[in-house]
Amino acid sequence: MSIRTIQVHLGIGACLVALFLILYGIPNWVSSPSNVRKIILSPLFWPYTIAGLTGLVGLGLIVFGRGPDDDDAPVNEAIEDPRAGMIRLAAMALLMVVTFWALPRIGMVWAAMGAFAALAFLVKTRHPKIALTCAVLVPLVLYAFFAHVASVAIPQGNYVRLP
Amino acid sequence: MSLFDSIMAGLALVGNVNAFLSLAIGIVIGVIGGAIPGISATMAVALALPFTFPMQPINGILLLLGVYKGGIFGGSIPAILIKTPGTPASSATILDGHPMAERGEAGRALGMALWASCTADLISNLSLILFAGWLASFALNFGPPEFFALMLFSLTIIAGVSGDSLLRGALSALLGLMLATIGLDLVYGTSRFTFGDPSLMGGLNFIAVLIGLFAIPEVINMVWHPTGHIGKVQSLGNKWVTFAEYKRCFRSIVRGSFIGVFLGSIPGIGAAPAAFLSYSEARRKSPNKANFGKGEIEGVAASEAGNNGVAGATLIPLLALGVPGDVITAIIIGAFMVHGLQPGPMMFVMNVDIIYGLFIGLILSSGILFIVGGLAIRGFRPVADIPKRILMPCVLVLCIYGVFAVNNNIFDVGVMFVMGWVGFVMSRYHIPAAPFLIAFILGPLLEDNFRQAMLMSGGSPEILLRGPITWFFWALTIITVIAISRGTLNKARERG
Repeated sequence: MSIRTIQVHLGIGACLVALFLILYGIPNWVSSPSNVRKIILSPLFWPYTIAGLTGLVGLGLIVFGRGPDDDDAPVNEAIEDPRAGMIRLAAMALLMVVTFWALPRIGMVWAAMGAFAALAFLVKTRHPKIALTCAVLVPLVLYAFFAHVASVAIPQGNYVRLP
Repeated sequence: MSLFDSIMAGLALVGNVNAFLSLAIGIVIGVIGGAIPGISATMAVALALPFTFPMQPINGILLLLGVYKGGIFGGSIPAILIKTPGTPASSATILDGHPMAERGEAGRALGMALWASCTADLISNLSLILFAGWLASFALNFGPPEFFALMLFSLTIIAGVSGDSLLRGALSALLGLMLATIGLDLVYGTSRFTFGDPSLMGGLNFIAVLIGLFAIPEVINMVWHPTGHIGKVQSLGNKWVTFAEYKRCFRSIVRGSFIGVFLGSIPGIGAAPAAFLSYSEARRKSPNKANFGKGEIEGVAASEAGNNGVAGATLIPLLALGVPGDVITAIIIGAFMVHGLQPGPMMFVMNVDIIYGLFIGLILSSGILFIVGGLAIRGFRPVADIPKRILMPCVLVLCIYGVFAVNNNIFDVGVMFVMGWVGFVMSRYHIPAAPFLIAFILGPLLEDNFRQAMLMSGGSPEILLRGPITWFFWALTIITVIAISRGTLNKARERG
């Protein structure tokens, strides 16, 4: 993608977001008391102003992005296998969801150990033994510091509890 | 009591090993705390507070001030090495510090960060001593209209950190402003974009958004392109900052220090906006402005001078008026009270020895920070040598613990993950993250002060131009907007 294409895509996206917010998002998700005397004092005023400005900036991006361009060179560094990259990104998203879900259930230490090991595997580390050692040690050291020095109540989960 | 007597009384209080050690230990704790992403200077001060209860009042307060100053500098270490600001105040340091680290010049960047931090710290402390009363009385004249005008002017910083496209920078800022509206409305208490979830009622946690936006996209980028870093140097390097470079950046450092002093003396603004404003001003005035954002050492100097300039100045309203200048001084005010001291004008009469003892301790702290900071840079050298595919999982785990520890809230970890994806998409679409962050910080202040001003005037906008302070900031804003527009048009003409 060239920078002009990116600009146009962003502009269209910004206009759509602005329209969505003005027509649906703000009326439904921002509540305002009925007795507000002036619109500028209303909780709705600021979100509408920002949404309107987003629409204007979106239009600006489309207008400036549609002009002639001498440089159509792609701006993002290409990777060897984009399909594998997308699969890794999907796996990363899944890893985050699973970690978030597991934090209160199995505890932060065990969830963090799993997340560390899975991420090291996902980025194809060349030091698997060091990665596994770190996956165990780093969450434990952080637990020791936060729980025993900083007195933070680190979630322990329902199964194995640490001292 | 004459000035000489006061200084001697202060010296008698701090001229002992215990006071010196308290300050030094505080700085060491602060640098370590600031250097660990997610701990932050605020958290380090809060953690150290209970340890000061059994100490002499002056020693306890000096320890906390040491933690504060060390923490603000310490935040720059991970900001430069791993693009993760240890404290929000170091966000601006990333912009040029990390590109320098990627070029193998982390040592140079860290060295300049230390020199700029110590210089700004010294200037800030001297300003505290010289201008405490005067600056505090000026800040006392600020009401909501003045704050609104100041915030509006501060938002023009966005133009300076938007990179090569002002429109993409503006889009980023608007996204930040929109996300800052999430939570309960402060005037009417009605909900905005909370979807009935109590976790969203207080708004999005700033640390979660900050770490999500700056650290997690690095992890996701590594997943997208695991071998992308190979060939890119990331070490301290053999090149260290030279005195000639310090001299070249000196004007930006002094300017940034005074920006920090000015903003720090106004309660509620904090170090992060000061760092961005200092950075933006340095970029505006520098002959190397094209290099800003790509690893310009002057950018590191300016942002570090801005955030460290705040550290001494936030004590101006604290000591002179008993008003905390930011969250950290709000914690420190607790330490004063625990020791039976009430900061404010009467303290200058009743406890003048403590006031001057603190002043002397603060001057000493700049020198100690220079020594401790120098050692810390070398101590954190291994961080730069860790293989990136081991470091990134460490960063992920550290972020999870750090973000959770701020509020003991797992929801914040989720916010961080989501913001990480937002940051990743933004980086793929070349939308700069800095305007988002500035708008996210300034947005609520801007809106609250605007609405408070409108409530005061019954909806009449005339209040926004009510006096010389507002006129001054409106004039600055207009001049800046004209300069930005001219610059953008000139750039467009050059492109043909």
